[in-house]
Amino acid sequence: MKRLSLLLLAVVICLIAGLSAGTVPLSPGEVWAGLRSADAPASIIVRQLRAPRVLLAFMVGGSLGICGAALQAMIRNPLAEPYLLGLSGGAGLGAVLAIATRAAGAWAVPLAAFVGALAAVALVYRLSLVAGRRLDPRVLLLSGVVVGSFFIAIMSSIMVLSDSAATRNAFLWLLGGFGSSSWQSLAVFTAYSSIPLVVLVLNARALDLLSLGEEPAQYLGADVGRTMRVVYICTALLTAASVAACGIIGFVGLVVPHAVRTVSRPIHRSLLPLVFLAGGCFLVLCDIVSRVVVRPLELPVGVITALVGVPLFAVLLRRTLA
Amino acid sequence: MIVEARDVTVRYGRARAPALRNVSCRVEEGRLVAAVGPNGSGKTTLIRALSGLLPLEKGTVRAGGRNVAEWPRKELAQLLGVLPQREEILFPLRVEETVMLGRYAHLGPVAPSGEVDRDAVHAALERCDVAGFAGRSVDSLSGGEWQRVRLARALAQEPRGLLLDEPTASLDVRHEMELFELFRRLVDEGLAALVITHHLNLAARFADRILLFKDGEVVVEGTPGGVLTEETLAGVFEWPVAVTRWADGSPQVVPLREGESAP
Amino acid sequence: MGAFIPTNAIRRAWISLLPVLLSVGAACSGGSRAAAGMRLADDAGDTMAIRAPARRIASLIPATTELLFAIGAGPFVVGRTTWCDYPPAASSVANLGDGISPNLEAILASHPDLVLLYNSARNAEAASRLKAAGVPALRLNTDALADVDRVARLLGAATGRTEAADSVAAAFDTALASASGKPGPGAPKVLLLVWEQPPMTIGHGSFLSELVERAGGRNLFDDVAASAGTVSIEAVASRDPDLILTSGDGPAAFVSRPEWQVVRAVRERRVIRVNGSEFNRPGPRSPLAIKELTARIREAAR
Repeated sequence: MKRLSLLLLAVVICLIAGLSAGTVPLSPGEVWAGLRSADAPASIIVRQLRAPRVLLAFMVGGSLGICGAALQAMIRNPLAEPYLLGLSGGAGLGAVLAIATRAAGAWAVPLAAFVGALAAVALVYRLSLVAGRRLDPRVLLLSGVVVGSFFIAIMSSIMVLSDSAATRNAFLWLLGGFGSSSWQSLAVFTAYSSIPLVVLVLNARALDLLSLGEEPAQYLGADVGRTMRVVYICTALLTAASVAACGIIGFVGLVVPHAVRTVSRPIHRSLLPLVFLAGGCFLVLCDIVSRVVVRPLELPVGVITALVGVPLFAVLLRRTLA
Repeated sequence: MIVEARDVTVRYGRARAPALRNVSCRVEEGRLVAAVGPNGSGKTTLIRALSGLLPLEKGTVRAGGRNVAEWPRKELAQLLGVLPQREEILFPLRVEETVMLGRYAHLGPVAPSGEVDRDAVHAALERCDVAGFAGRSVDSLSGGEWQRVRLARALAQEPRGLLLDEPTASLDVRHEMELFELFRRLVDEGLAALVITHHLNLAARFADRILLFKDGEVVVEGTPGGVLTEETLAGVFEWPVAVTRWADGSPQVVPLREGESAP
Repeated sequence: MGAFIPTNAIRRAWISLLPVLLSVGAACSGGSRAAAGMRLADDAGDTMAIRAPARRIASLIPATTELLFAIGAGPFVVGRTTWCDYPPAASSVANLGDGISPNLEAILASHPDLVLLYNSARNAEAASRLKAAGVPALRLNTDALADVDRVARLLGAATGRTEAADSVAAAFDTALASASGKPGPGAPKVLLLVWEQPPMTIGHGSFLSELVERAGGRNLFDDVAASAGTVSIEAVASRDPDLILTSGDGPAAFVSRPEWQVVRAVRERRVIRVNGSEFNRPGPRSPLAIKELTARIREAAR
């Protein structure tokens, strides 16, 4: 309980920081005034731009964190992360195709990325059905890497053949960013992610069992085949939706679950909600850094999460091995 | 009767020889059955078949009066507690958390745990004499302690039968004896149990019946005295042995050295 | 025939006359001062020897293709890039690729005696390999208006059309001076929007930015030195541009997106779209481009 309240406090602080930081630095007082009344000078920036951006970053960070934790239990590999399933290759290919063919409509690129991600995931699933049996975690990992590489190869060919502007745009979009977040994209993402998130949390105890191994899990009463399918589909949907919302942002799903496990019990019932909150805070903070460090330009958020995530992961690794 | 196999034949994939051939066995309340035999003779496969994990080429496995394949996994776990040889410790839990996992059989993934579950966990901890370190992390336990915790977890399922796959492998004398005494007590209180073990002598002293396996078949089945004879054992294990008697009447097997002969 | 001519003397006379005849003949062709074997310095710091006025030029920069045609050296262009779209006569020249990663085989197959490459790090290797194959390759900067004069004269020297080049350069300088304004204190703030997802802009010092400034506007992000950078809608909104400028194949959907309505210029639909390659690169058409921009900026900022 104490951990939960500390984390909730951290969430509030991060959200306030996220609303205050940016091209135009605002004090928390101005932020509050902007939120309360539509006439305050900061109101438009705070209400129309920063609020949806910060909330979307929080939701995406939390979703990626939970996906990472669930996959680590399901595949029984502490290095598992949402993009292992070949998703980033598929999403990248979809986005690049949309950009290179100059597909019309503001939703063209996110939709194409979403479809691409799911196509990759379906292919990985099909490859991992060993002799008609259910998902084998070792094959899953391998298939994910192989399918991801395959899609990335196609994507790279398209990028090389396209004109340089299209290539650069595709690249920038893929690197991830919340610069064009809106209430609309937040609403779509929340609507999309609610069900998979709830389903994952409901399967928390099953994840505890899965971590022991498939055979022990079955003996304890878990329907392993069904659980793995459910977890797979939910993480695929959540990650694909995240990519569609803001490009490919790595390391959140890998690092946040480990970080939370160092201060909390690994029982998934309590772990998953904590990972959601921590993942949200982490991504909000990374987004702040991306907005502030080369003002008025922005760095892609995916770059910041990697720059922060890698040293953080090294520290966590030493702690757990010590 | 808890679970029964009749003329079961099981083949892994497209293997030439079946892993089990026409095997029958019964796991009944109040009886401790020991399955012994050379490595790879099908003992672990038997446990998997009894728990409904494997498709049967021939024969049936019935549990609680129904075909085991018809049982939903959760319900089957309320009937049978199974301890496989191996399991991974990915993210180490505490002892009581581990044992609480056994309540999945009653709770499922969603339901919150309550008084009943806590009592069951506590009882299981006491039964296996691990209540003293309920708060310790499982990766700090010795081999014997860890096995007792796993057993407690199986008991937390409140099963009517136990299937144990080499539960005392790599344990020292004391821990091994403690575990077998515990199995015996549980069986005497009404549980059914099937134990796979390499220790012919412990099987002889603790089991009510012994199944002797070779190459996927049950070569002999019966009381320890009836099964553990010099000829039979030498034929199955392909090594000469001598069989003596212990004070309680149970046969004790002594493998012979090169050049030795039975007295 | 040879009976009444004193052979030795006449032969000697012919031999001494030959160089005179040749140089007069050379001087008559195109009014050039180019002598056989000149040395030209390119923008990458290399100096190259060219044996004769170049007559087979592979021009892998759209700006130089335009200039070559402008100075009357069009017939000497044997290769161009996909982007060389002006003048229309250039389309009948062989297309050697996109020029970004030069296809050396295609270039050499057109047997050029001079190759023009954009001065980028990538082309350094291509240039040295062409030189190793015996073909001089010049690397040129063609990013800014200030390059036009210099490059025109260089091309004039290389092709032996120096007079034409001089007059083109002079006409350009005059036209540029007359078309250019200077951004005063009331100059409209212009957002140069290259892409919308994520929002990308062009900073100070780039060609389009220069055009905008000469057309009387001020680049909204003229404090950014990068030629392109990612910004946020928030950064744009807080600087409140008076109008938004995009190119023909640039973003269009942002105008109707709800999150962009925060920007006043989007709400008031003050968005200018410029089509045409004269806005992509400096050349003889730049003064016209500036004039057009001036008029459109004035109109949109009203």
